[in-house]
Amino acid sequence: MIDPDLISLAITLKLATVTTVILLIIGTPLAWWLARTNHVAGFILEPIVALPIVLPPTVVGFYLLILFSPDSAFGAAWVSLTGHPLAFTFEGLVLGSIIYSLPFYVQPLQVAFESVRQDLLDAAATLGAGPLDRFFNIVAPLCRTGFVVAATLAFAHTVGEFGIVLMIGGNIPDETRVLSIALFDHVETLQYQRAHLMAAGLLVFSFFLLLIVYTLNRRWKKQTHMRVKS
Amino acid sequence: MEISASVHLTRSSGFILDVDINILPTGITALYGPSGSGKSTLLRLIAGLERGDRGDRIRIVSGNEVWQDGSSFTAPEHRGIGFVFQQQQLFPHLTVQGNLQFAMKRQHVQNNIDTSQIYEWLNLHPLLSKKIDQLSGGEAQRVAMARVLLNGARCILMDEPLGSIDVRSRSRILPYLDRLRRNLKIPMVYVSHSFDEISYLADYLYVLKEGKVHAKGPLMELSSDLELASGQGESAATVIHCTVSKHDPEFGLSELNFEGAKIFVNAENFQINDSVRVRIPARDVSIATTRPENSSILNILRVEVVSLEESPGPSLLIKLCRNNQFLLARITRKSLRMLGLEPGQFVYAQIKSVALLNENVAD
Repeated sequence: MIDPDLISLAITLKLATVTTVILLIIGTPLAWWLARTNHVAGFILEPIVALPIVLPPTVVGFYLLILFSPDSAFGAAWVSLTGHPLAFTFEGLVLGSIIYSLPFYVQPLQVAFESVRQDLLDAAATLGAGPLDRFFNIVAPLCRTGFVVAATLAFAHTVGEFGIVLMIGGNIPDETRVLSIALFDHVETLQYQRAHLMAAGLLVFSFFLLLIVYTLNRRWKKQTHMRVKS
Repeated sequence: MEISASVHLTRSSGFILDVDINILPTGITALYGPSGSGKSTLLRLIAGLERGDRGDRIRIVSGNEVWQDGSSFTAPEHRGIGFVFQQQQLFPHLTVQGNLQFAMKRQHVQNNIDTSQIYEWLNLHPLLSKKIDQLSGGEAQRVAMARVLLNGARCILMDEPLGSIDVRSRSRILPYLDRLRRNLKIPMVYVSHSFDEISYLADYLYVLKEGKVHAKGPLMELSSDLELASGQGESAATVIHCTVSKHDPEFGLSELNFEGAKIFVNAENFQINDSVRVRIPARDVSIATTRPENSSILNILRVEVVSLEESPGPSLLIKLCRNNQFLLARITRKSLRMLGLEPGQFVYAQIKSVALLNENVAD
């Protein structure tokens, strides 16, 4: 039989990967829109995106749980579509993680997008590049570092999630028991040896991820500084 | 292709741009005026980089295409224009070559652009493998112009293209621009607040002031307009047309024909019968009522006094004419009194310095 901690590790990595990929798809246009818009909706959407940073995860989890309930319109639609409720499933965890990690993906990317000078986009437009062409061939390469930082933070943040998972995912082995929950279990059952291994592993992992983020950030600042100077 | 723009636009700051302009089908149409006169906004409207707000009346027409009228709006990427910005418009993640390829891949019109010709005009070969942050300001602007040309633009719009370049590099890049002016058969619009640049390059001139067209006309006419010139102060200068008639290698001078009179200037790089522009600063023109003898000044022209500037200062501008071309002279009020100058009188203009505008590019 496979070590249940390894299964937890696999679930955690799968959750973080799926969440990051989905954020890449929906978070990128959102960050772009927030970076460029003067629309009044931007002023409201920006704090909404940032809410998970300050809210206790249990608050987000509580509302998600209510949303997932088959009594709510969304929950009922999900049940009729898939045959089972969303709470205490891996899909439920993905949805929760997307919401909870959204600011960690959107904010660094938005900052990167804001640093792209309008003149470059105007120049590209007059050279015949349409909106998508401009995004993929000017904005994306110029914001390469911003993408790496945003994706790394979203991934790491999803790995470290606890409160929401507990509220909406429970603690189902092989399904929703992620590392942070497993660690909690080990402490509760006084398996300190295992808890130590897991905690130290998460610590080292987080340190190296942040090391990457800050190194990239520093290099990126230096580059833009040089560009502004020249 | 002939472009016309009719704009009535109100900014939230209260600034109103209310102009009607037509762009020459070939040659350079210049928009000249102080900052805040609306010239850059007008250019960006023509390009489609700005479109105004609801309530603004903007109509931009190019040949038989309507680019903007009412709610119809053609995006800038579909207008087939080239735009040269003041600075920092090259894509920093690409090399010079990469920037040029970006433009070639997205050519507006599939014309047979002679790439090597453009590289030669703008002297690009030494720059191709460089990174963007290794270029000087002048080099970057040359690459930006090449990028626009390789893109197959049907019309070129330039917004203060020399505005962020130091004065010395500016005089080095002006001949490149002039070379484009003489070789390209497309409309070009040049926005600047420097009359030096305008007098070097423009064929037709719109003077903008506080959002309105203050004056318009061919450069030769406007450069001698007393009212406009008095606003230039010490830098007032006229531009005249001459043809090269003779080279004199012994003295390193060439003889130009100006309305039947001779002007001597260094023009060795030109062919006989080439048409050239000569810029004559008003402060370098003095006046005598009889033909000066034994003077070191070579260029002495018989001209007619047209009008005198009404100015309270110690010096004033005098407008002079020879056939259909005009000159300005700046003299002191005291000299005016001594010589007793009146409109209609014939006098001799002595020209101390003559600058040939279309100097050939030093390759």
